[in-house]
Parts: sequence; C-alpha cells; structure tokens
Amino acid sequence: MNIWLLSDYDPRKHLAFKSLLSRFSAAFPDTETEFQVKSRKSMWESLFAHLRDPKRNPLADIIEIPQNWTELFSRLGLLFDLSRRVEPLESKRYPGFILKELCRHDEARAFSAPWWIEAPALFYRTQALKGICQDPEKELASWEGFRATLDKLTSGGKRRNFRALSSPGSSGSVSVSDVLPRVWGRRGGLFSDDFNRATFTRDETAGGIEDWLELAVSGRIELFSPDRFENGPRPPEECAFIISSRKLAVRAGLKMLPYPGSAGSGFALVYNLAVSASSNDQDGAASFVSWAMEPQNMAAFTESFGVFPCLKSVFEQRLQEEREVDVYRRIFSAPELMPNIMVYPTAELLLERSLWNLSLKIARKEYTREDLNRELIMAQGEADYLLSLY
Amino acid sequence: MKKSGKNIYGQGERAAYDGRYAFIQGALAAVSEQFALDGASYYEYDEKNELLRLRLRRAFGAAFEHEENLRPTPASAAARAVAGMQPCTASSPAGRFFYFPFKLDSFDPSGGRNAVPRTGLVRLERSPRKRRFSAAEAARADAWLRAYFKDYYKAEFFSLARRQEKTISAITELTEVFATALRVRDSFRHILAGIQTYFGFDRVRLYLIDEGNRKLKGELSADIRGQIKSISYEEIPLEQGAHRFADIVLGKSSGAFMERYKDCVLYMPLSVQGVTIGLLIVDNLLSQQRIEPAELAMLKSFGGQIALAVDNSRLFDKVEELSLYDELTKLPLRRYFNQRFQEEFYRAERFKQPLALVWADVDYFKEINDTYGHQIGDVALKEIGRVILSNLRKIDFPCRYGGDEIVILLPQATGAEAARLAQLKITLSIGISTFPQDASGLEAMLERADDALYWVKSHGRGRIALYSDTAAEKQKAAAAGGNTNGKS
Repeated sequence: MNIWLLSDYDPRKHLAFKSLLSRFSAAFPDTETEFQVKSRKSMWESLFAHLRDPKRNPLADIIEIPQNWTELFSRLGLLFDLSRRVEPLESKRYPGFILKELCRHDEARAFSAPWWIEAPALFYRTQALKGICQDPEKELASWEGFRATLDKLTSGGKRRNFRALSSPGSSGSVSVSDVLPRVWGRRGGLFSDDFNRATFTRDETAGGIEDWLELAVSGRIELFSPDRFENGPRPPEECAFIISSRKLAVRAGLKMLPYPGSAGSGFALVYNLAVSASSNDQDGAASFVSWAMEPQNMAAFTESFGVFPCLKSVFEQRLQEEREVDVYRRIFSAPELMPNIMVYPTAELLLERSLWNLSLKIARKEYTREDLNRELIMAQGEADYLLSLY
Repeated sequence: MKKSGKNIYGQGERAAYDGRYAFIQGALAAVSEQFALDGASYYEYDEKNELLRLRLRRAFGAAFEHEENLRPTPASAAARAVAGMQPCTASSPAGRFFYFPFKLDSFDPSGGRNAVPRTGLVRLERSPRKRRFSAAEAARADAWLRAYFKDYYKAEFFSLARRQEKTISAITELTEVFATALRVRDSFRHILAGIQTYFGFDRVRLYLIDEGNRKLKGELSADIRGQIKSISYEEIPLEQGAHRFADIVLGKSSGAFMERYKDCVLYMPLSVQGVTIGLLIVDNLLSQQRIEPAELAMLKSFGGQIALAVDNSRLFDKVEELSLYDELTKLPLRRYFNQRFQEEFYRAERFKQPLALVWADVDYFKEINDTYGHQIGDVALKEIGRVILSNLRKIDFPCRYGGDEIVILLPQATGAEAARLAQLKITLSIGISTFPQDASGLEAMLERADDALYWVKSHGRGRIALYSDTAAEKQKAAAAGGNTNGKS
C-alpha cells in the first residue's frame, strides 16, 4: 500500500507519520506500506499527471490532500467514496464546521476523511512587550493595535538576532495561507456568496492582502529570508511575535492570542486522507484510513506536531486539555474554512502566482500599490472565466 | 514492497534513474549515510531571481519534497559556492554545513537539441552539537558527490526516453486517428479522443465555422478524463469584436491576450487550402500547468492533418446527408428508413414495447400538381415535411417513402397514442398499424398500415384509421355480405 503525504515545514510531521506507520505495521504485520512525502505543488502535478496518463503515472493508494481539493478531484473521478467505509464519516463524527465544507454538494457521499486541522494564532513574548503594550489582550485584538505595537517594537529592538515578527510556516514569498486570515478578518473572501464570481478585487479582500504585504514592504517580515537559509528557523525566544498555525511550546514568557483582527472566530485549514479510485486495494486503503481515524491514533499523530485532530470527541478533549483553552475555544467557535468547490484550488493557484510576482517586486523594492491592483484584476478575471467553465 | 514506513526512493537501479528527482533523492539518501549527516538538501538556483529553491530534503531518516525559496546573503558561503561553483564549508548556530554547487545538463523542455544547464546546490547538514566538516572530509564529500552526479545523465536519459516513446506513439497513432476519421459525429469524437489520449490537456474544444450564418459554432468538448460532450449550444457571431474566438479566427486577436495565456492555452485555427474552417482550443486552465513548448509544437504540426480530417468529416456528412435525406422535405429517405425500421422493430421485440407505423398520403396531391404545377406541389411537400418534423417526438422517425407517401415510425406508441400523435393539422389520409397487436414482422406491419391507409382513401380521405379498426369493420361488412375496403 502506497501513501502520499503532504510535505510540511515542520519535519516533526514526517516523523509522526513514520511512527504512526510503525504502529500500523505492528498491528497489521501482513500489510506492507510505503510512503512518499510530496510538496503541495508536486502532489497537484502528480494528480494531474495521473489524469493525463494513468498507466505511466499511477496514484498512491492513500493520498493526503487539503480538504478543499476534495470536490475537484472527486469530480475528476480520482477519489473513492469513503462514506460507507470509514465509520466516523458514516456517523458524521466530525465538528459541524468541517462537515459543512466537506459535504457541501453531496451529503450522502464523502470522498475524503478529515484528519487534522490547524488555525493561525498570535504568540507573543511578554518580556518583549514590556513598556510597549500595557494590555496585550485588548491592544492586540485589532490589526491596527497589532501594527502599532509592531512599529514600537521595531524601533526598540536592540538585541542581536532579535526579530519583531516571525512566520515560521512561510516558504519565502508571501503565500495565500499568509494573507487569508487577514482577508477573513476584514470580512473579505475569494468568492461571492453564490460562488458565481471571484472577489479578489473587493475592498475587503484586496485590503486584507495589502495589510499583509505591507508587513513585507515595511520590512516587518523578511521575504526569501537569507537568515533562514544560513541560520535555520528563528528560535521563538528571539522573536517578539510569532504568527503560527501550530501550537508552540509555551515556554516562560510566551503567550497566545487569537489572530489579530479576527472578528469573532478564526480561520482554519483542514487536511484529509483520501483513497484513490484507481487503487487496486481500495478495501485495504479504506481500512488504513479507518485505523488512522481511531481516536488514539489520531490523537497521537496530531499531538506530535502541534495541530488538532478532526474527530469530534478527540478534538473536544484536546481543547479541554489545552492551557490556552479559552483562546482555542474562540478560534474554533465557528472558524472560516476555504470553500470546497471545484474551482477553488485553481483560484488559489492564480492568487498564489500573483502573490509570488508581488513578493519578487517587494524584494526588489519595486512594488507599488498599482502592482497589487493589476495582479488581482488579472487573477480575478481568470478565476471568473474558470467559474464560467466549471 | 518493503515493510513499514520505508521511503520508496532509491530502491534499486531502475528506480534510481526514474526521473530527475528520484536520482537526487537517491543521492541525498546515500550521502547522508556515507557521511553521518543529520540532513541533506537539494536546491535549484533561480538565476533570474537570485533564489535558491529547495526541492528535496532528507532529514531524520525520512526523505521528502519541500518548497522553500531563499536568497543567500551576498558573500555568504552559499552565495560564494554558487557564484564560483566551488564547494565550501560553513558553520552557524543552525549547524555545520558543506555546500556542494553543481551544474548539470538537462534536456531542453522546449524541444531544442542543445542541453540546458541546471545549476544548484546540495547542502550537507550536521547539528551544531556535532563535528564540523574538516577539510579532508569536505574533499571526500566533494569527490563522492561529483562521482555520483556523473551518472546524472542516466536520469535525464530516462526522462528523455519516456518523452521520445510518447512522441513516437503520438506520431504514429494520431496520424492513423486523423486519417481514419470519417463518420462525422464519431469522427469528431475520434479526433478529440485521440488528441486527449496523447496530449492529456485539461480540455480540448472544437468549433466549426458556419459560413452560411457567419457563425462559429461549438461542436464538442473533451475533458481531461476523456469525457466528450456536445457544446452545440455555443454560437459566436463571426464578427470582429464579438468574441475573442471570433477575433482569433478572423486574425484580429490582440497580441497581449495571446501572450498572457500562451503557456497554458493554444488557439489553433483550422485551415484547409487557405480557408479557415474552424478553431481547436486546448487548455490547461484548471491545472494551471504549462503546456510544454515541445507538445505545442507537435500539436501545431498536426494542425494540417486535424483540419483535413475535420473537413473530410464535414464533406462526408454532406454526402451522407444527400444520400439519406430528401433535399426537398428534409425527411429521411426510404433506404435510411428501412435500416431504422429494422433496428426499432428488433428493439420493440426485445424489450416487449409497442411500435406503431403511420402511413400517410397527401390528399389530392396529384390534383395540386396538375392544377398548380410541380413547383407549388414541391412547396406543399416542403411545408408538410416542416410540419411533420416540428410535431414529432424526438424518438419518432419520419420518412419520405416515395412521391407523396410519408411513413412515420413511432416507438413505444400504441395505436391510440399513434393516432393522437398523427393529428398534424394537415389534410392527410393516414393508416396505422402496430406491433405486436396487428403484425409480428416488418413486412406485415407495412402491409397492414398500407391496408388501413387504403381503407381511409376509399372512405372519403382526410382521416386516420387503425388497422385493427378497419379489420373489424371489414369483418362486420363481410359478415353482412358487403365489400368495404375498396379492394376486390
């Protein structure tokens, strides 16, 4: 049985999966498993390569995908219906906000099983904010308050290697997952409510993107960080703020707040396990997914790299055990998920390309607001065209 | 297959050369073991943007693809290694490093004959607590990686061989596909399916020019799964500015538009002997993947053949239409009817469904011709054809059987339903027979319908009669000693 896993900036995920597989092999010694870690881009390419030439490009039996790829690849016939094969799916044992997106168009079937969830939050070092921010919970609740505090910090940061803000999940350029929490915070979105139009240029959406780009333009976050190449990820103790989707080891002085400016609840990303429709061992693959969904397996896997399990009972239990339970409850009260519609993954690619172009301009110090307008207009036009086709 | 979570890269000779990244993964795995590393990373150098782009990594005994785009500090060890193509060591709070720059020859994805250089960096990594790379160890690592990378051409060769194999099969089989495409509906499908099989675009669409109406009409669209559907609902006026497809066909498209989509869309006007007959559009818009220039070039080279195949199919369609359809009434001719009658009859028999046959005769048609001339007779027939075609169900099949005689097949219709469907608001004499009630064979059905028609004509015309009714009438008359069918 072959498994394709999505790559992660945190290598603990791969280790957690290796450990999960070891336990699976111990429990089912007759089942042989192999896994391969693919970047998001290469996973996308592999799935399309299979569609173009299935014989030369076979799929793995089990594939990890972002939840909002499910609609697209199930409509393209790549995914196997798991609704009657994986018990938690059959009895809908996931939080409602996850199920709502998973089964947007078809409540009877489910082509992937929600596995783990992450949500960006703001971590800050109390020591670094001393004398700058009197009431972090209040002052950092809004984006404006957060920005003002960042400005004060930057001017006052004297320690060598000190950085005001770190975003450990960054791949170098500004990416969609960087800007979306802020877009959501401004009540923007990528599509109209009826999903007939793309809304990249809407004031709230463009404004949210601009807010994050401004952090890069003003040097608050560093793009294509040479420092990261030379010195590796920035240790938390050298940063005043960290925007992270993963739970950070809350060592002395590090506290947690919801993402700044996220009115109400937060923004979350869900990752699922799917079984390939072309697998020769669909039963075996579905059994593995069922096994991975068992509470103790899901709990151990997700805990290992600081994310939350999707199974409702385990999710609730984890929330209760969290030190920052109140913050997490707020984040997960009714989080926004990216829509699971056929065109979404492509629309995200279009926006990703625009952000890449803008990131290069910012890094070269050639960026102007007009560049953002132009990129968003073009990306929106292409997304609209796709919506008309699919 | 190996047990447990063993990564599948580097599992033997064949797998090691199965593509560029499989080879590099093999290198990272082997060098990690050889030099007791904590990690090894493979970066490609994006010269234009001066970025090192992480592609593959091996750490903690696991291999993985990953993407990170980083710019080394000017004059740093990594920057010096890439600029001077000289390996070097470095040490920082993050660990101990050995940088191995490389320049490898890759085949040209655009199909050129010359190799394209690919530069980058392999970084060997140890944690800060472990020993530095000594000069001797660095020299050994350098020699080891150089020796390993000498075989890189095998991975390139493997990829190139795959591509060539695909190209050769495309050339031979697509030529066959285009040459044999004839029956129109099937042939368009055949052509699109052929293109999809060998190129696998996200979508292929075929539009044909309707010269008479100055329109570009949608024909078929094939998706990445090879599923083909009609797009006949798409009609674009062939006027400049009406639509970008019209502009492309008319040669008035703006360069800016074409430039933006050139990587993932190809608009290919189809021309035969200098005359544009349609437009083939292939795109990778859903996947946003670049269509390789070599693939575009190959598809373009097939452009002439595709256009010819499409044009042949259209001509064949016209010839077939002439031989199967009556030009005046637009109704199928008897030859076509006989074929369909047999098919429908077998279907009715197999699925035990009723089948009705309507035989109609235009009342006083001879008198119309004699009084007003054949031109007016033709106008009358044309109108009758129009009325019949616009009043039937989709499954019904009418036919100009000869002269002013029209036969209509009504699948799944009983006698009463057929009589209702045959009320066409024109003055016709109509006889109807049904299967299985009136007849159990083709000939018998025709005979019975003709009998019923004859009965109508001999009883004042302009009526509809079911064979079963006329037979009952005849029986009654026979019992009474009369002759009611006019035949003696």
